[in-house]
Order: sequence, then C-alpha cells, then structure tokens
Amino acid sequence: MALLEAEHLSIGYRTRNGLLRAVEDVSFSLELGGSLGFVGESGCGKTTIGMALMGLLPANGSIVSGALRFKGQNLVGISDERLRKLRWKEIAMIFQAAMNALNPIQRVGDQIVEAIRLHEPEVSAAQAAERVRSLFSLVDLDPERSRDYPHQYSGGMKQRAIIAMALACRPDVIIADEPTTALDVIVQAQILAEIRRVQKEMDVAVLFISHDIAVVAEVCRHIAVMYAGQIVEQGTREEVFETPAHPYTQALLDAYLTIEEEDAALPQAMKGETPNLIVPQKGCRFYDRCPHADAQCRQEPPTWISLSPTHKVLCYGPRS
Amino acid sequence: MEIRRYILGRLFQITLIFFVILTVLFLLFRLAPGDPVSRMVDPNMTPEDAQRLIEQLGLDLPMWQQYLIYLKNFLKGRFGISFHYGQPVSEIILNRLPNTILLFTSSIVLAAFVGVFLGKIVSWKKGERIDTWVTIGALVCHTLFLPWLALIIIWVFAYWIGWFPLTGMISAEIWTDPSAGLLRKGLDIAHHMALPLTTLFLIHFGSYLLVMRSSMLDTLREDYILTARAKGLDEATIRNRHAAPNAALPVITSVGLSLAFSINGGALTETVFTWPGLGRELVFAVSNNDYPLAQASFLLIAAVVLTANLVVDLIYAYLDPRIRY
Repeated sequence: MALLEAEHLSIGYRTRNGLLRAVEDVSFSLELGGSLGFVGESGCGKTTIGMALMGLLPANGSIVSGALRFKGQNLVGISDERLRKLRWKEIAMIFQAAMNALNPIQRVGDQIVEAIRLHEPEVSAAQAAERVRSLFSLVDLDPERSRDYPHQYSGGMKQRAIIAMALACRPDVIIADEPTTALDVIVQAQILAEIRRVQKEMDVAVLFISHDIAVVAEVCRHIAVMYAGQIVEQGTREEVFETPAHPYTQALLDAYLTIEEEDAALPQAMKGETPNLIVPQKGCRFYDRCPHADAQCRQEPPTWISLSPTHKVLCYGPRS
Repeated sequence: MEIRRYILGRLFQITLIFFVILTVLFLLFRLAPGDPVSRMVDPNMTPEDAQRLIEQLGLDLPMWQQYLIYLKNFLKGRFGISFHYGQPVSEIILNRLPNTILLFTSSIVLAAFVGVFLGKIVSWKKGERIDTWVTIGALVCHTLFLPWLALIIIWVFAYWIGWFPLTGMISAEIWTDPSAGLLRKGLDIAHHMALPLTTLFLIHFGSYLLVMRSSMLDTLREDYILTARAKGLDEATIRNRHAAPNAALPVITSVGLSLAFSINGGALTETVFTWPGLGRELVFAVSNNDYPLAQASFLLIAAVVLTANLVVDLIYAYLDPRIRY
C-alpha cells in the first residue's frame, strides 16, 4: 500500500467569476521513503496539491472530487481535530526560505520545541530542547544557535532550521514547497544535499515542489510534470530527463542552457500563455502553445499513454 | 548586554533632545518682544523681592550668562516664583504632575488593553456581524471631538443622572475629615476620575482597536502563521501565541504617540472636568501671562513626553528581539 496516494483529485477555488479548477484529475502515489517531485510553472497547481495534503487550503479552496489517502485513510472530509493530529506528526512541511516561515519574536529552538511537545506531550521541555540540539547537529547547525532569533540567521541557516523543524516529530512525509527558491546557488546546492541526506538517514518520504526541473531532479527519483492544473507526464527521473515525451516537458528541458555549448543561443520563450482555468478549453490544455498540435488535439482532451510501467504521458502523439 | 547598550543609547539621545528643548525654551522666552524682567518678575512684588529674583535669574546680565544661570537653576530645580500663586513654580508643578499622570496613564493603559483585546477578537471574526459593529463603534469613538464628548458625558452622568461629581478631583468634606481612611480617599478620587477617565478611554481605545485589528489581519497573512497551522496548533494558540504578540507591536508605537499628544488633549480634558493637572495649569499660566509657570510647564511636558517615549521604546525592545539586538 502506498504511503500517500491521490486518485482523480480535483481542487477548486471559488472566485467571483466562478470555480477555478486549479487541480484537475490528478493521480499519483508516494511510497514509504520515496521521493516525488512536482514541476511546473507558477499557477500550475503544484502548491495547491501540497496545501491540500496539509489541509491548509485557503477558505475559498476545497477538494472538489477524488480521494487523497494517507496510509489508507482518506484525508478528504476528515475532521479538523484529526487533521491537526496528523499535521507535523505524520506530514510536515518545508516552506520557502524567503518566506518568514519562522516567528520573528520567538527563539528558533522554542518554535521547534513547541511542535515536539504539541504532538508528544509526554516529552519534557528539557528532553525536547535536547532533541532540538541533536536536530540542529543533524542539519549542520551549531546547537548553541537554537537560542537565537530568526533575524540572527542567514537565509541558508533559516532553511536548515526549518528542515530541522520539519524532522522534529519524525514524520513519514515531508512536503517541500520551493525550499531553495530564494537562496543563492551555492546555498541552494547545500540545502538540496541536506534534504537528500536527511531523507536517506531518516527514511522519510519527500514530496518536492519546484518550478525548477533541475532542482527536482537533484532530490527526487520520480517526477511529475504539471501544466495548467494537470499532470501531463510522470516517470522516473531518468525517463523524464532522457526521453521526455510531452512537448511541455521538452520545452522545459530546452529552456536550460548547457555550459558546454559555447555561444549557445538563449532559449526561446514559449509562445502563448497558460489557459483560463475557470472555463477550460475543449481539447488539450497545451494546444495553444504546442508545436505539434493538430485538429484532434483541439477537439478532444488527450488520454494517458503508457511508455513503460513507470513512464506515462498525457498526449496524443508523444514524440521522443 | 545588547539591551543595556540599547538603553544607554536611548538615554543619551533623550538627554540630548531635552537639552535642545531647554535651549529653545530659553530663547523663546528671552527673544519674545518686551522686557524679560517684566515677564519673569511679578509687577506686584516689593522692589526688594523683585531685585532678589532678578539677581537669582540673572536678568540684568548678558544673554550668555543668563543662559548659564538658567541651566544652573534648572539643575537645582529653581524655576522662579509664579505670579499668580506667589509660590515657587517647582512646588506648584510637583503638586499638579501626579494628578495628570494618574489620569492619563490609567486611561491610556486601559484603552490600550481593551483595544488590543477587542481588536484581536474581531480580527479573528473578520466579516462577521460582531466585527462590523465593533469596528464601526471604534471608528465613531476614534473620530469623536473630545470636548464635545466630555460635555455630553458630564451632562448625562453628572448633571442628568447625577451618578458622578460635576468637577474636581476630590471632595473637600472627605479630605478634611480626619477619620477618613486611605480607602475612602482613594474611592473618592476614583469617583471623581470616572468621567474624565471614561472620556479619554473612549477617545483612545477606538484607534488602538483599529490599529490592532488591521495589524492582526496583516499578521494572519504572514507565513509563520501558516507554519503554526501546519504544525497542528489549534486556532486559539495560533491567535494568542503567534499572531497577537506580533500584531500588538504597532499598537505600542501608537500608545507612545498618543501619550505624547495626550498632553495637548490633556489641557482640554482637564479644563472641561476642572481636573487639577498640569495641562490645565499650563492653559491658565499662558492666559494669565504667568511666564515662570508657563516656562516650567512646557519643560515638564517635554520631559513627560520624552520619558513616555523612552518607556515605550523599552517595552518595544523587550517584546521585539529585532530591536534589542
């Protein structure tokens, strides 16, 4: 049984102009200790999936249909009380570094202690503080710094502290939503290495969300490419990288400059824009921007094609 | 250690500002048209007394010497003799100051606590009926004209219903009664203070509530609130431990500002309620050309405002680690 499983999940936001279908008919699964990365541009629905898993969708957002199962238990329609018990204890989250994910007027260590003692009331304050110190060592932070306030940390240190916080209750899953986006490249590489290392050491499953396909490939064995609320291609890291089947995945990969090619032309910006998610178009959502689109793509939405037991694509004529 | 350096730094700044105010006041009172002797010495004094005062204040000396004497007198607490009362100004002021501090500190502190508490509650119920009505009420209180409100309150509660005394701070018959204990005297002051306190409270709490409410709504959009939710904390803990302490910080600034401005408003309130405080004394001194008293009152008001600001800064530093380090 998969640890985390989504089946035909659709999530919508009520807006003044109607229901915005941010996530449409998405299915995926994450094994114990596995890693799955969601890639796609802003507004493709990847963060919405993460928030839905935590039960933290904004007030106007809700799961419209489908199921979201954690250890076989459906998270759709679960009571707030039970959801609060699951949060952090079972599913923790790493937020963007640039975000003020830490409370500015509380000591960093105290904020982690708060999470520990909330879910494990039997742990004494001293024991919790001791655990914070060992978590700090685990993520390469000086344990003495746990008495500091967030503003005394650099961006990379804050991100390490947030990783330490996510690990505090030994969760089974960590959702990492753009955890390295605001960091400079060197710190970004360190943080990614850190996430990979703790994932291996603590055997925790990671659901990684990023707009940067290279970053996702660093951490995740499986990749799901999202476009306009749908997963359009899913497979192992190698399959998606080496034999991208969906034109959108190909465009994403083409957008990377390779260092080896001198005088390489800058990648061309993709023409067109993402479709309106309130009034979806009839055919393929990528139709307007796809270089291979034909009449069939316009009329009917594509269906899944399996390319291997792990690799599938939502496209009429996958090209490799 | 950082906090000690911060406090010392602030004390130094405040001393500097006070010195500037001291100098400006000196120049203001010397450079104003007319003869400084006639302003600082009561025309009704005997020639000998007048001569002694002129020498004490150095009014017959060149300006720079006068300034030095002025500073020396200030350090010794000598501000001259009030024309009207014929008493040393320092005595009059020390007599009035506690009354002002009692009324304003208690009303503003009360208003701040109620404003912060209600602001926190209604921000959590944004858009619901209680939020709408409390916010409208706070807005009305905030925009009311203070003397008008004071007169209405006096008319209703002191004159019409008659629950509270019309004027003053104490009842003569209680304070002259030797058998009256401290409790009875205290209750008497509270009885007199109720109406001015209510007036000041109503004027101030609205603005604190509005500041707290909007600050809370901003704070609730912060990412650490999302973190707190993700941790699995319940709503009350998120509100009280994570949102409110951050949201209350701007209110403290607002309290500092209104303590400073309350001295102006204080003159009005004290006059309407005939509260024997410093603001009323200042109005009296200015309208009766009692220059020594006016000068000292100005100085003291500056001192009070600066001290209030210092206290607010210290509270802020205590609550917000970003200031202290």
